[in-house]
Amino acid sequence: MRFILKISLVLGVALLMCSPVWAASFTASLDREAITLGESATLSLAFEGGQPQTAPSPNVPGLQIINVGNSQNFSIVNNQMSSVVTLTYSITPQRVGRFIIPAIAADVGGQHLSSPALRLTVEKPAPPSAAGINSGNEIAFMKLSLPTDKVYVGQTVVAQLQIYLRDDVVNYGQPQFSGTPMDGFVLGKNAGGGRSRAQVGNRVYTVIPISLAFTAVKSGPLTLGPFTANMAIVVNSPNQNNDPFRSFFNQGEQKQVTLTTDMLHVQGQPLPTEGRPGNFSGAVGDFTLNSSVGPTNVAAGDPVTIRVQISGHGSLDSITLPDQSALNGFKIFPPTAKTDVSGQLGLDGTKTFEEIVTPQSAEVHEWPQFSFSFFNPEEGRYHTLYQPAVPLIVKAVSATTLPPLVKNAPPENQTPRDILPIKQSPGVIEKASQPLIARPIFLAAQSVPVVAFLAALIWRRRTDSLANNPRLRRKLQVAQLVQDGLVDLKKFAAENKPDEFFALLFRLLQEQLGERLDCPATAITENVVEENSILRRAPDSMRDGLRELFQLCNQARYAPVRGTAELNSVAMHFGKVVGELQNLKT
Amino acid sequence: MLLCAGKLCATETAADFATANELYAKGKFTDAAAAYEKILQTGALSPELLFNCGNAEFKAGNTGRAIAALQRAEQLAPRDAEIRANLDFVRSQVPGATLRERRWQNWLGALTLNEWTWLTVVVFWLTFILLAARQVRPALAPRLKNATFVFIGVTILAGVVLGIQVDSHFSQSTAVVITAEATARSGPFADAQNAFITHNGAELSVVSRHDDWVQVADASGKSGWLPVKQVELLRGA
Repeated sequence: MRFILKISLVLGVALLMCSPVWAASFTASLDREAITLGESATLSLAFEGGQPQTAPSPNVPGLQIINVGNSQNFSIVNNQMSSVVTLTYSITPQRVGRFIIPAIAADVGGQHLSSPALRLTVEKPAPPSAAGINSGNEIAFMKLSLPTDKVYVGQTVVAQLQIYLRDDVVNYGQPQFSGTPMDGFVLGKNAGGGRSRAQVGNRVYTVIPISLAFTAVKSGPLTLGPFTANMAIVVNSPNQNNDPFRSFFNQGEQKQVTLTTDMLHVQGQPLPTEGRPGNFSGAVGDFTLNSSVGPTNVAAGDPVTIRVQISGHGSLDSITLPDQSALNGFKIFPPTAKTDVSGQLGLDGTKTFEEIVTPQSAEVHEWPQFSFSFFNPEEGRYHTLYQPAVPLIVKAVSATTLPPLVKNAPPENQTPRDILPIKQSPGVIEKASQPLIARPIFLAAQSVPVVAFLAALIWRRRTDSLANNPRLRRKLQVAQLVQDGLVDLKKFAAENKPDEFFALLFRLLQEQLGERLDCPATAITENVVEENSILRRAPDSMRDGLRELFQLCNQARYAPVRGTAELNSVAMHFGKVVGELQNLKT
Repeated sequence: MLLCAGKLCATETAADFATANELYAKGKFTDAAAAYEKILQTGALSPELLFNCGNAEFKAGNTGRAIAALQRAEQLAPRDAEIRANLDFVRSQVPGATLRERRWQNWLGALTLNEWTWLTVVVFWLTFILLAARQVRPALAPRLKNATFVFIGVTILAGVVLGIQVDSHFSQSTAVVITAEATARSGPFADAQNAFITHNGAELSVVSRHDDWVQVADASGKSGWLPVKQVELLRGA
């Protein structure tokens, strides 16, 4: 049953929307009848009992009327349902005056309806009076001030714009400037500052400062303002302090306020002609000059870079280098300029000029003195800064004859000579190749010092090892001695010198056995073969061989001369025994 | 025979170079640029050749190609003031954000990759010669101690710098836009969404490559894909 009732209600509402049950009506209204230039008014077109077939689009010269939204409301009062469709328009005036919004016609539910004409007065914005401000009635106001009432042409001054918001303003949006009229000034950059609080009359205001840079561009009476701005603010509702719930959610009444400043009158003064330097090019401010020239030792035709830095306070953008085209002996290319500013207003900083010049002959001996003039508006007089001449050493280049075509033929497409000219010689032509670091042979060559170092390191370790191990050293020395001795033995055998042969053989036996048994070589005799414990453990064949060799040495002193073949045989036998001896474990 | 062939080749190159210079002097900058390019295509290379090629391209209105040629010239002769002056001037004509070398890159760029290589190799060899000398003549070790430490330090430093240069040369590359305007896209497809627009002469760092597309990033960090034919790729960042 409930479900059926709900369905019936919905169908009833739908029926109301779709068909005009009652006679439709149409009303138009403005939220305000008078506004100031810069503010907006709201026009509402309300259609009761139906909706228009097409949305009306009012058109009034001098007013910008824009549809900003539609809404529809249903209400049931005393069992009677009604619906209202509201079209909302924003009206922004473009000039001051009295405007009439004519009757607006619309077709609603087959009826032709029209609204009455409306009046809207747009007034010139005016700053609040001093009395109004001091009374604390002004919720927000704006002030514009200049530090001086006289400016020179070209001088940049910083105006202070201050927006005051009363202490009951709990939130605010960015100010939207709708008018910044000025006569004889050019607006530069602006910068915000830290908020502060100030007592005005009997109320406390939050002060939002904005610094604006203006440059005077003409002499005579100049004006600045009135500036107008719109700003959305949120104000504490009168009963908010009693409502903790609303305070908790920081709600308040939102308002759109129009702020207007006074008009400022300033006297623009021309720059004095008295004392104006000849090279003055319009720089106004307070500056310092720095410059550098390099390289100073060049050949004729080589580029020399001149760097000029002008630093200080003033309009840096307007600074130009004095004309140097009349300088003799140099070819001068157009300078490039770079400006580095500090601060948000861009009034302090450094402008750097860089120009390339080429001395044309060896007759050039210096880059001449450079001067820069400016007008200081604070002191009201001109200043000229100098940089001394810089000596140059310019070497002559051998005269080269350009091809005839180069000298005679003018370019078809003559363009400014803004880049340095081409080179006449192709230089050292090389074939495009891999970098050295990518060539395998080059990389392999870098192992040479590493290998040399490792070899030296190994050699050093071995040398140190031998120095600390006398037995090893003796072993190596004896091995070398035996190796050389065998060669000498064969030589003596070939020459059939048995005395030298057996003397050497005996000495070699002593050295080898001395090294093996770790005793002096001179202490070695035939008896050692029988007496020494190490040799007693040696194989019999080796001991027999040693005995035989000792006996041969002894017999040689008394026996007759032997032949070469027998000596060779003895030498071979010695070699075999020594080999076994060297492998003997001690 | 090889020597004769080399001499003949050098003579021909010099003649072609003079011809290109004549075209430049006549104001036929496009023809001059083509003539210099033709020499370069033979494999011949010199800073002067690339410098003149850059000048001719600039005069012919090809700012991007001019920057590419002058950059290559600068890589071969980084301390040539004329190349630097012209490169700076041509770059100043390019609108919009473009890549600029950082101060340390400028400092490292004062020497070519081969010069850095030679410098590193010389200190590397001297260091190992000193180390070997200390092994061969231990008596010299105390006297060579300080010099050895200094050379080891310089070798490590030079090696690090060389490593950076090698990485820059082989792993990083720059794309110079050579068409009047190039639209970087969000993907390597012709119908991909526009990412940003660059102009002739803009220098962009190459992030990656895919077929005939190259992913680039500009000085502000925006990245996008450009067709390879719209840029000239240079080794080294």
